[in-house]
Amino acid sequence: MNEAAIGTVPSRPYASSWIRTTPVSRETKSGLLVSDFNVQNLSAYLNKDDRAPRVAALAAPFGQVGQVLLDDGLPCWQSKPEFVVVWTRPESVLEGFRHLLAFAKVDTREILRQVDEYAAALLVAKDRTRTLFVPTWTVPAAHCGHGVLDLMPGIGVSRVLMQCNLRLLENLDGAMNVIPLQAATWIEAAGERCVNPRLWYMAKIPFGNEVFRAAARDIKAALQGVEGKSRKLIILDLDDTLWGGIVGELGWEGITLGGHDPEGEALVDFQRGLQALARSGVILAVVSKNEEAVALEAMAKHPEMVLRPEDFAAWRINWGDKAQNIIDLTKELNLGMNSAVFIDDSAVERSRIREALPEVVVPEWPSDKRLYPRALASLDCFDRLAITDEDRQRPEMYTSERRRSELRCQAGSLDEWLHTLEMKAEVEPLSKGNLARSTQLLNKTNQMNLSTRRLTERELMSWAGEEGHQLWTLRVSDKFGNYGLTGLVSVERDGSRSRIVDFVLSCRVMGRGIEETMLHLVVEWARSKGLSEVLAGYRSTPKNKPCYDFLARSGMQTMNDRDFAWNAAREYMAQSHIRLVRVDRETNLPG
Amino acid sequence: MNVSREEILDIIYASLDEVNEQLGTEGRILKSEGTVLLSDSGKLDSLGFVNFVALLEEKCEGAFGATLSLTGDNAALDEKNPFETVGKLADFIRVLLTREQGE
Repeated sequence: MNEAAIGTVPSRPYASSWIRTTPVSRETKSGLLVSDFNVQNLSAYLNKDDRAPRVAALAAPFGQVGQVLLDDGLPCWQSKPEFVVVWTRPESVLEGFRHLLAFAKVDTREILRQVDEYAAALLVAKDRTRTLFVPTWTVPAAHCGHGVLDLMPGIGVSRVLMQCNLRLLENLDGAMNVIPLQAATWIEAAGERCVNPRLWYMAKIPFGNEVFRAAARDIKAALQGVEGKSRKLIILDLDDTLWGGIVGELGWEGITLGGHDPEGEALVDFQRGLQALARSGVILAVVSKNEEAVALEAMAKHPEMVLRPEDFAAWRINWGDKAQNIIDLTKELNLGMNSAVFIDDSAVERSRIREALPEVVVPEWPSDKRLYPRALASLDCFDRLAITDEDRQRPEMYTSERRRSELRCQAGSLDEWLHTLEMKAEVEPLSKGNLARSTQLLNKTNQMNLSTRRLTERELMSWAGEEGHQLWTLRVSDKFGNYGLTGLVSVERDGSRSRIVDFVLSCRVMGRGIEETMLHLVVEWARSKGLSEVLAGYRSTPKNKPCYDFLARSGMQTMNDRDFAWNAAREYMAQSHIRLVRVDRETNLPG
Repeated sequence: MNVSREEILDIIYASLDEVNEQLGTEGRILKSEGTVLLSDSGKLDSLGFVNFVALLEEKCEGAFGATLSLTGDNAALDEKNPFETVGKLADFIRVLLTREQGE
């Protein structure tokens, strides 16, 4: 760079860029980016993105990956970053791979040994943060390809890189707070702009900005997943969204769906995409301006409909305002607006919902139906870190819930109705098998949540393993189906008393006596330990008033507007309509 | 190929759009000829400058088919800081393009 020709470049040396100059607010996630290249463009995209969670990411001095990973005394760790991204190039951290690129003869086993070493360093660093992201390696941009040799054993660069990535993943398997990210998709998304040689030679930036943009998007989505903030409800319009045409005018036989028609085929693929999301635990619902009977007939009868009425947890099909319909529908499903995504072909309706319900995600939607599947696939707000059995069963649970509601209309009193449900609560301690779901429940539940404590799997496991701590999970079922693991209660011994730390119940089973059952469990435990009292300290949030309301009516003594107590000399009666089953599953927690 | 100053300004503004994507609201660089880019009051830091130059060169290549090196040795040109303002930069690129065509 000829500085005489361009004047003075304002200096902000990369090497000292990790020095934090602005405070990080509680809502902002602090991040550290560790790389063997200049990763500042990624930090710029992450920091500038104002979607939740806000991020303040700093780049560690680049080119010092090994030192940064292994030395926790370095200044870049002082801020205790909540997440860390370690993004390297294989030719930089794997000496053998660098030789391979130069057509030298290299033993693949030696390269894989170097992968093991690198993975070991990552595993050392993982304990310094809540979440460690590791983008996988990609073929260097300058690699011209070795033609047919590229996939040959021992010499093929692409083949060896696949082996390296697989070995890396295997090394990281089981490390709960380490999340690998598929960097190849970022390269693909960027197309021919995935690399800009000018950026490399001027600033040691090996990728074009499209790559960093895609990476930032994925990292933000994963952070949302870590926080349990991924969306869980898709509300769909029908005409020209789920199918082509206006069913009220064309009849179900006349709508565009499937067949030898580009738009029809795309709409079937779109429905398949929605079905796949439903299988991962996303709930589907409909809000449409239509005649209900006509629309439901189309959903039930059209031979190419992938989604049938029973695939939808709820619907509001009428001529009313869609914003009001969404409010009613989410209320029925016991979900907040911050769970919902609204998909509608009409720009007017999208605008209405954005304005009236700003918490609902309303993606821009293409006018060309052939682009619907891609538009759906590009939504990253459903990203989650694990898919639990409860996630897979969720759509079915909502169908069961509709049937329960029907029965409730027929039954007399609430007590009568509860007795007809034949409820069962299986109580089990935290274990390998339920850790992912327990953590998900803890982090996603807002309403019936005493303290709204948010923990990673590792943190929850560690807490539950401490002396004097006890944690139970509850799986709830009734004659209509299984609600899954929907309750979690934990206590800690506090001298001669016990203190409830978490009191978490999914809204799916609230008001059916499970709250009282959880309190019963805690009191019984305190009594068995000879403790005098059970205390519950309510920590108010904008959303957890239902928990306060329960405590206030639970029979516990109210000390003030947040502290409740039960004298453990007295029993807290179990619920007669709930069969309580204690399950001793394998309790070994992952190490 | 005779490239107009307006076409060059369009390329500069498109590059600024991309650079602005990485900047907070208060750090955004205005798209106008008088905008100061690189001087004591300029908003581009070293990384922003590198990004801007790389984008600008890439876009010039795509739009005009000309491979420019905006930070190369242009000492022959009588310009001390061609990046001082957007307007000066447009003039500078126009000179470089003309020179390249002449060669």
